[in-house]
Amino acid sequence: MPDSISSSLSSNTPASSNTTAAITGSGLSSDTSALVANHISKTVSGPNGDLTILSDASVTVETAEAIAIVGPSGSGKSTLLGLLAGLDSPTGGDVELLGQSLKGLDEDARARLRAGRVGFVFQSFQLLPGLSALENVMLPLELAGLDDARGPALEMLGQVGLADRAKHHPLQLSGGEQQRVAVARAFVSTPALLFADEPTGNLDGETGAVIIDLMFSLREQQQSALVLVTHDTALAQRCDRRYKMVSGVLSPESDASHPGGTA
Amino acid sequence: MSQSSVSSLPFALRSLTRDLRTGEIRVLALALIIAVASVTAVGFFTDRIGRAMERQAADVLAADLRIRAGQPLDPSIQTQALDRGLDTATTTQFPSVVLTNDDESQLVSVKAVSDGYPLRGTLSLARLDNTTESAPLAVPTPGSVWVDLQLMNTLSFTQGDVLQLGSREYTIERLIRFEPDRGENVFELAPRVMMNATDLEGSSLIGEGSRVRYALLMAGETGAIDDMRAWADDAHREDVTIEGVRDGSPQVNRALDRASVFLGLASVVTVLLAGAAIALAVRQCALKQADASAVMRTLGAARREVVAWLSWRLVVIALGASIIGIVVGYLAQMVLADLLKEWFRLALPLPGIKPPLIGLLTAFVTLAGFGLLPVVRAGTVPVMSVLQRDYTGLSASTWLVGLVGLVAAFFVVYLQSGNVQLSLIVIGGVVAMLSIFGIFGRAIIAGVRQLAGRRWRLSVAGLQRRAGSSVVQLSAFALGIMALLLISIVRVDVLKAWERDVPADAPNAFIVNIQPPQADPLVERLRGEGIDVPGAFPMVRARMVAINSDVTLRSDSSDEHQRRHARYEYNLTWSDTLPEASVVTKGEWWEPNDERPLLSLEQEWAERQGFNIGDTLTFRVGGQDTTGTVANFREVDWESFKVNFFAMGNAALLADMPHTFVTSFHIDRDFGAASSEWLRAFPGIVTLDVGAIIQRVKGLMERAALAVEYVFLFTLVAGVVVLLAAVQSSQGERIRESALLRSLGASHRQIRESILAEFAILGAISGFLAALFATIVAWAISRFVLELPFEFNPLLWVTGVVVGTLGISIAGYFATRKVMKTPPLIALRHT
Repeated sequence: MPDSISSSLSSNTPASSNTTAAITGSGLSSDTSALVANHISKTVSGPNGDLTILSDASVTVETAEAIAIVGPSGSGKSTLLGLLAGLDSPTGGDVELLGQSLKGLDEDARARLRAGRVGFVFQSFQLLPGLSALENVMLPLELAGLDDARGPALEMLGQVGLADRAKHHPLQLSGGEQQRVAVARAFVSTPALLFADEPTGNLDGETGAVIIDLMFSLREQQQSALVLVTHDTALAQRCDRRYKMVSGVLSPESDASHPGGTA
Repeated sequence: MSQSSVSSLPFALRSLTRDLRTGEIRVLALALIIAVASVTAVGFFTDRIGRAMERQAADVLAADLRIRAGQPLDPSIQTQALDRGLDTATTTQFPSVVLTNDDESQLVSVKAVSDGYPLRGTLSLARLDNTTESAPLAVPTPGSVWVDLQLMNTLSFTQGDVLQLGSREYTIERLIRFEPDRGENVFELAPRVMMNATDLEGSSLIGEGSRVRYALLMAGETGAIDDMRAWADDAHREDVTIEGVRDGSPQVNRALDRASVFLGLASVVTVLLAGAAIALAVRQCALKQADASAVMRTLGAARREVVAWLSWRLVVIALGASIIGIVVGYLAQMVLADLLKEWFRLALPLPGIKPPLIGLLTAFVTLAGFGLLPVVRAGTVPVMSVLQRDYTGLSASTWLVGLVGLVAAFFVVYLQSGNVQLSLIVIGGVVAMLSIFGIFGRAIIAGVRQLAGRRWRLSVAGLQRRAGSSVVQLSAFALGIMALLLISIVRVDVLKAWERDVPADAPNAFIVNIQPPQADPLVERLRGEGIDVPGAFPMVRARMVAINSDVTLRSDSSDEHQRRHARYEYNLTWSDTLPEASVVTKGEWWEPNDERPLLSLEQEWAERQGFNIGDTLTFRVGGQDTTGTVANFREVDWESFKVNFFAMGNAALLADMPHTFVTSFHIDRDFGAASSEWLRAFPGIVTLDVGAIIQRVKGLMERAALAVEYVFLFTLVAGVVVLLAAVQSSQGERIRESALLRSLGASHRQIRESILAEFAILGAISGFLAALFATIVAWAISRFVLELPFEFNPLLWVTGVVVGTLGISIAGYFATRKVMKTPPLIALRHT
């Protein structure tokens, strides 16, 4: 595992070396990586024959570690995120999510694996328009089989500063507020692993910064690992390690300012 | 962690209450409510009317079931009836002669009735001065008789007079104003004398060779009646006539048949329109739910759970809409029933349980047919669509959705019509219509683009860019407008033609039993009184004795069919010219001086009897036989109420036979007073007032027409909902497009004009197609359902295009308001 790296090196995550917290927060033992992808690739058939969107990518994310995947639009970042999260299956290679291989799991089994343990923050928020802010936050807990989802969800909404907006519907909220609800939804189940796909892409700079601060502070609090897809290099700097994606090829970024950041 | 607490139902309820505020769910619910309300209202209504009709028909029999025979009935029949818990009564009818103290005599029809008569309906009685309604009496007191107005007018009785019947004298107790089961054969009416059945015993009234008709009346629960009928059919079919409540008056039956066909059609069209609206709305819902489904599955929900959740939503929607629809349908049928309540005099039977069940079934079948596949697809949309929009695969296999929808539509139409063939025709018609809408729509849009100038280019380009959804919208618009046009044609053209069937001057009086020397003077006198009399028709009473000379009919034949013919007394007439209200449908009408004896038969009756052109029939009149060849079949419009006959001959066949005359005419004056004078002046004639019957039939038709119009209101609303659903279906797309155009610098005005123009073009094309199909459907309804001549209405095409253009533009205007109100940033963000 050449990409495997210790998780305790980031200057931006002072609490990340606390593995005990990671265990209580995520239910993962310290010797299990949050996410391991071995030589995964994705090829789709198009009108002009097969098209390789992603070739031979390997990633390891340790417990409570934050990594960033940086690259221009259309480079295949979102495809990689989808494969890592088990939303789609690679045509080659294997993904091990929270210690379990996704190989041979059907879509529903992969969904079960995510339930309550994996959080998402999307560029376009993806709140359910029919549900209130509170109900949107309750959703992951309910899907994970929790009987009383209301209390924790209200508390989480309070943490993102929207306790007074619990009954509002997504369309009654501003973009920044919607994304805060989405963040609350992502963290309400204390996920071991969080996927964020351009979380500030639809927000202005100031609002985006608030969201990012919120996301990172909650992540530290809960010791969740993070896979962040962004084209914003400044944002990527807040992560422990960075990968660069160019035309479907993933490579670890060597960065002198982060000693030990790469192998 | 495999156990999810997102128990689908509560979750579905929760999300649904929120979603109710969105347009497509409302349209969906509205369409369902209308479909259910229409089906339920029509179901309730026809069910109640049907049962009221049976009661009314029971009045005419004075029973639920009547068994008649020319000889005393086997006592075991009555025992069987009593065993089944039925009420029974008997009547015995025979001709006799009454004598008065003044030595006047009159041929009468005596009816001896037992206790309990009439089992259904009521006799209306009066004291002999005919002014005061009599207290109800059960049956004539033994030793007394009741007489009708006819006899009283002829013999001038007063209260307490006696008359002699056979060897005994009877006190005249009451005047019969109305006898429910009187009208068996209007041409055989002699004045009525009613007596108690116990007086028959020991009297010499019924002698050898008397023409006596014995009847057993039965009434009771439907099950017991059906059972009794089945038993009698089985045990006594050979020697008795069995009559149930379903053999009612042909005019009334036809009027109600037509009304229920109309109501059924209106309801089918309503359900189909609602189905179209549901299909459009469900598709919109599914598109939105696809996003939610992907998010939920990203967060850990299994496909099964999501599909269950979405399906529960449909169930809840169907259930909610059904309940509201059934309530609306129930209220609507109350108004409908009120329209006909007076006509039936009786309170209508209570609504049954079947109509709401059919309403419920309709809702579920429609929603399942149009909604289940989109829901399953929404539930299984690739989860990657949360990250990449182009992953949505919802548009695939629209064909399958369409096919399942059609199967559901077929089932729903079948639920309404109960007729597989009719349902197939309706669904086939819908498919053909939608295909033509699709093909023509595409072609016309392409054609318009060629012609469009710079100003319109944007609009037409918009239409063509969304060719698929444009054609869907166009079809929906055309369907909606067609329904509206049809309602107007059917109401104005067809219903009016139907009402014209019974003209205001339809004959309301008959005079029968006119002796040949009386005929001309009577006609002259009537004309002298200002009555428009067509003349008097000869009438010959005959029995059929042979068919094609090789079959000889005998009343004691072992063949039931032959025996019936032999026993039946025919009223024949002769004429050189085809009677009014008749059309020759087969063969040729005869030349006036044809020497060959020829016959003309009423088509439906002749076909039922198995007669053909060229058959020879021999009739016995008095003691003479006369044989004629069937020359033609006639179709007779019985609703004209003009004198007409099942069988008629030419002069060569019948002119030499003993005959009387009959005439019919319209009279505005009091019939009773006038007929008293005629009866005195022309002894022996029998006058019949059918004005009451005509008024009832006419009233029924008017009310039935009103009921049909009323049910068409549902169709109208369904048509509007389809338009709404169609406008709604493109709104999201329009909001995005207009936001884009505005961000590119287009002004509100430009966008509004472009959208309005787009709707106007769609409206004009749909209006044209709608007029085309409305004409075709109206023609088919006139031709095949109402059997009335079709009048082409050119105004319809103008109306179609104008209504289409204006209506859809107005709908479009309201649709654009939301498009305009949505700020571009929000519109673009919420994609």
